Amino acid sequence: MYPFGKGAARLMPYLLLSIPVLLYLLLGFGPSMVTVLFSFTDASGVPGQSWNFVGFENYTTFFTSSDSGDRIASIGRSLYFAVAVVVIQNAVGLFMAILINKKLKGDVFYRAVFFLPVVLGVTVSGLIWQLIANPLGGPAQAMMNFFGTSSNFFGDYDIAFELIIFVQIWMYMGYSMTIFLAGLQSIPNDLYEAGYMDGASGWKAFKNITFPMIAPSFTVNMLLSIIGALQTFDIIYVLTGGKFNTTTLAFDVYATAFGSGTADYGLASAVAMIQFLFVFTVSMIALYYLRRREVEM
Amino acid sequence: MSSSKGTKLLSYIIVLLMLSLYLFPLFYLFNVSMKTQSEYLIDPVAIAKSLRLENFMDAWDKGNFSQYMWNSILYTGVSTLLTLVISVFAAFPLARGYVKFSTFFYVFFLISMYLPNPLIPQFALINSLGLYNTQLGFILLKTTGTGIAFLMFVGYIKSVSRELDEAAAMDGCGYSRYLFTILVPLMKPVLATGVILTAIGAWNDIIGPTIYLSDPAYQPVTKGLFSFYGQYMNNWPLLACGILIVTLPLVILYIFLQRFIVGGAMAGAVKS
Repeated sequence: MYPFGKGAARLMPYLLLSIPVLLYLLLGFGPSMVTVLFSFTDASGVPGQSWNFVGFENYTTFFTSSDSGDRIASIGRSLYFAVAVVVIQNAVGLFMAILINKKLKGDVFYRAVFFLPVVLGVTVSGLIWQLIANPLGGPAQAMMNFFGTSSNFFGDYDIAFELIIFVQIWMYMGYSMTIFLAGLQSIPNDLYEAGYMDGASGWKAFKNITFPMIAPSFTVNMLLSIIGALQTFDIIYVLTGGKFNTTTLAFDVYATAFGSGTADYGLASAVAMIQFLFVFTVSMIALYYLRRREVEM
Repeated sequence: MSSSKGTKLLSYIIVLLMLSLYLFPLFYLFNVSMKTQSEYLIDPVAIAKSLRLENFMDAWDKGNFSQYMWNSILYTGVSTLLTLVISVFAAFPLARGYVKFSTFFYVFFLISMYLPNPLIPQFALINSLGLYNTQLGFILLKTTGTGIAFLMFVGYIKSVSRELDEAAAMDGCGYSRYLFTILVPLMKPVLATGVILTAIGAWNDIIGPTIYLSDPAYQPVTKGLFSFYGQYMNNWPLLACGILIVTLPLVILYIFLQRFIVGGAMAGAVKS
């Protein structure tokens, strides 16, 4: 029951709530819905130009125009990016969380260091790795030379994208680890003691106690990293600008709308819709399996 | 729990290896920042010969960082403060069910993560409102009551006893006074996490300023650093100083607030 009075006093929560609702409608939800609309039009960024409905033309352009080879490749790359990032980031994050949770000396320090790249942000982290991977004698090159080989790193068609994946994981591993740690710290110690009595230790204890108990943090981590990975493109913007075969769907939206001289809002919105369907489907499938796992325990 | 000495040692070794992967880039960055350009060109990897703090002054001036820094502080400070206030406005009634359709509004906010990318119409809207390339427009874009802070607050407020609301109301405390004088002080730990996560997001945004702020006089420090990089691509000692300058303010904030992060991540991520 609402305790803060009756009559006009009852309206206060509505009044204050209306501020975030209006902001969200105006700048978040509204524009999202207009993206759906735009994807069926020939809207452009050219001032004063009118726009018309064109049906599914943007979608057919995506799949059949002369540069759709690149566009379709970017779908594959988005999926590759997401799978690699989600699997490695969470595996390493969980592993490090378990190690640090063993009451190692200096655990607060380790936690802080691994989370640090999140604080530094994409631009700084990106430039730091550009510095490390400077083809003209940076430490990565020095190491390659030691093994008698060399590389252009972020300027190399064959490995630039893998390096971006590496930097992305380097940046957000600490985030996943922090959430896992929170989950691990909420497990009562007597569960392990009881398990130990029943002969569960080591791998068995992990499988039967730890893993089920951290199911909620597992779900959160998976969803955050899936959605994050499929929507991220600032790291690509900073590291390669989409060159050297590093374009993903999310980057394609940006490049088509705001890249040099294109400003094709209709087509960019269609790409955004394809990206949306992609993100939505993948995360719903993931959510279905993860929730089922949470209930089973 | 008894883990043998062997596994404990192995744990330390793995953690140290991982630690070097995170700390080496930073040490190397610092090392490069202490070199002259010719020292760097002769041997990029060698240890710097002396501390050259004047490199920082040089980078500060050449990169015009005072202007960029001020812009970043303005954008981050104002949008973080507004975001937190607005998130409390949304989180409290929804966590308590004090408005009709609370669950509906909660889910409505939550789906912002899944919705189609609003980037393009958002840009068209800001443009047509005449807010393109303005500080107000950018702050407005960075202010939202539906982000990570909102989610954490809902989780946290649920753990605050409902009887406290009733007791305060009984003593004649009104709704908004309750929010600001009783609830907000109770929320300190989660507010700290909200501050740092929101501020990190606002301070580090690079795409937003690239799209919305074409005038260098209005650009924040990320965009400034990136332009600086484009301009001095081959002068890594100068660039390294620029990177360190940009890094410093948030790292200081982080050092002060980092103890709240694990608790906050828990409240925001797992409970809600």
